[in-house]
Amino acid sequence: MTLLDFARGPAMFWATTIMVIGIVWRLAGAVLLARHKDRSTPRGDNRVVAGLRAVAMRSVPPHELEKHITFQHITGYAWHLGWFATFLFFGPHIPFIKSILGFGWPGLPNQPIVILAAITLAILVALLVRRMVHPVLKVISDFDDYVSTLLACAPLVTGIVAFAHLFPSRHETMIALHILSVEALMVWLPFGKIFHCITGLPLRFQIGAAYARRGVKA
Amino acid sequence: MSTTISATEERAALEGIAREVARLADSAPKVDLPDAERVRRAKRVFIQKTDASVALDLESCLHCGMCAEACHFYEGTGQGRYAPIHKLKLLRKVYRRELGPFRFVQKLLTRDLTVAELEQWQELVFDSCTECGRCDMICPVGVHLSRGVHITRQALAAAGLAPAELRALDAQQQGTGTVLGADVDKLRGALEELRGQGIEAPLDKPQARYLLLTTASDLLIYRRSLAATARIMNHLDLDWTFSSKGFEAANSGAVSGDEAAQRRATQRIVDAALACGAKFVIVPECGHAYPALRWEGPNEIGGTFPFEVLAMSELIGRELESGRLRLQSLGPTKRVTFHDPCKFGRKGGVIDEPRRALAALGVELRETESKGTTNYCCGGGGGVFFIGRAAPLRSAAFNIKRRQFDATGADSVVTSCGSCRMNFAVGAQQNNWNTPVESLVELVADNLAAPETGRGAVA
Repeated sequence: MTLLDFARGPAMFWATTIMVIGIVWRLAGAVLLARHKDRSTPRGDNRVVAGLRAVAMRSVPPHELEKHITFQHITGYAWHLGWFATFLFFGPHIPFIKSILGFGWPGLPNQPIVILAAITLAILVALLVRRMVHPVLKVISDFDDYVSTLLACAPLVTGIVAFAHLFPSRHETMIALHILSVEALMVWLPFGKIFHCITGLPLRFQIGAAYARRGVKA
Repeated sequence: MSTTISATEERAALEGIAREVARLADSAPKVDLPDAERVRRAKRVFIQKTDASVALDLESCLHCGMCAEACHFYEGTGQGRYAPIHKLKLLRKVYRRELGPFRFVQKLLTRDLTVAELEQWQELVFDSCTECGRCDMICPVGVHLSRGVHITRQALAAAGLAPAELRALDAQQQGTGTVLGADVDKLRGALEELRGQGIEAPLDKPQARYLLLTTASDLLIYRRSLAATARIMNHLDLDWTFSSKGFEAANSGAVSGDEAAQRRATQRIVDAALACGAKFVIVPECGHAYPALRWEGPNEIGGTFPFEVLAMSELIGRELESGRLRLQSLGPTKRVTFHDPCKFGRKGGVIDEPRRALAALGVELRETESKGTTNYCCGGGGGVFFIGRAAPLRSAAFNIKRRQFDATGADSVVTSCGSCRMNFAVGAQQNNWNTPVESLVELVADNLAAPETGRGAVA
């Protein structure tokens, strides 16, 4: 079995298995805890609407808050969009996605996607450096923050190296490393802060509904 | 309408209270507990308070640090340790080790909670957090940060590690039902003073539809607010009373994190309301008292209240909306800005009603850039006003607020919280700031529109 066979076969199987079981385990471990009953009389009766509003509007904070976080906001959303656009619209990825989902879609030309991937990687590196020097981020960062960022960078690095044929004699190995880097990210997902991709939107709903109980738009 | 207490007397009274606050720590009861017991008690609170909703918060943080950018203490000092999410570190640690889905691994990889950590966190969750909730508004995933801070306060209080000043207030309220010496004799004296001015001020009516609360700051300093509140109640011809059994709105336990103290203070009010058959309990201009009774009270007591809790500004807003209350217009030459007390506004939901009152007064309202749900705290809420060593932090926060006020070009600041007024008064003195800070109820009471329909509101 070559490294590429391993990456496409058993590694993919186990990464997926660990990711799914890990997500279910972590989510269940949190949401199955008891829930304290709030006996106060709610002011508003539109908590579902308020929750859904928070899901949407948290992405667009009021100006007086936004002006303090513009850099984080723009770079944060930019690298997420760049990462997913690279994953979903890079031509060679689409047959792989189709093999899982049973359907695919047209990809974008390679050059723009590779440029996008490089920009995304540059943003991630900038954010990593910022994390090491910013007065707040220095204090609050832990192992998870650095591992998660590096694991988000890894598929971009390996993908760009593979695409650019920097090691022509080892192209197959580079493809294998690219797939393994994605699998490493999948394995880490249930254990690190990347888990917010599962809990983020429900949590936005939760705080929107909680504040709506008091008649406050959050 | 004139009242006997002047602005000069108010300033003198405030200085007297400031001196008493400075001595508070000396009177705090000592808490002698072995370290292991302190840790055990703190952990028990962390575990009890962590339900599914809190767990979801603790599982979702990105460590992006945006919450710090909404915090006046971080903005005012630039110190990273004041980031709100950092203040939740002990809660998250206990959750992960004791309750979380990977607790078996976490117990192997991390060290248990220590007294040193609890002591270190005292400054972070008490001195440098007013639980104003502004950080709750910015978190991109919606972590309810102020709730996590409050749980940590409760854990520290259980471990006997609340700041001495707040423990002293708890002890005072346990003994007398009130704080800073604003006891029932002070209430009786203040009500006699009102009656001397021709203001009807009932005490201990056997039956009343409205139970009016007051607070130490009104009894000891802002007697004009007390008078104004009574005048508005009379003008509206409401059936109301004070109760000598439960008149103090302030709830020291709600800020110190001492749940037993919070429950006792709430129970006094509930008992007083039940005794006179009140359908409404009116919270005066005392910020933290409102969420403590309106939102947390039923959970402390363990059941829904058979009465409605209203902030005074909320009552004014409702009565204006219904048309039962009308005000004389002061005209747009009076330019004011409004300070939303966090506990009435963002944490209480009383945001539109004070503005309705200002609109009825016809003044030109010049809003600060951050207002309503994103308003900056005065800097002294959540008990921070009483913590002596927090003075530099309060000043840093006050200066943010001052800049916001000054940018409006307003001639005065109106607010609906006596604690905010006290904090502004101290901040103004320390920073040579001369913009007047006015009480909303006083403005309303001084401009009640004829024809008079109530009972002797104007002497």
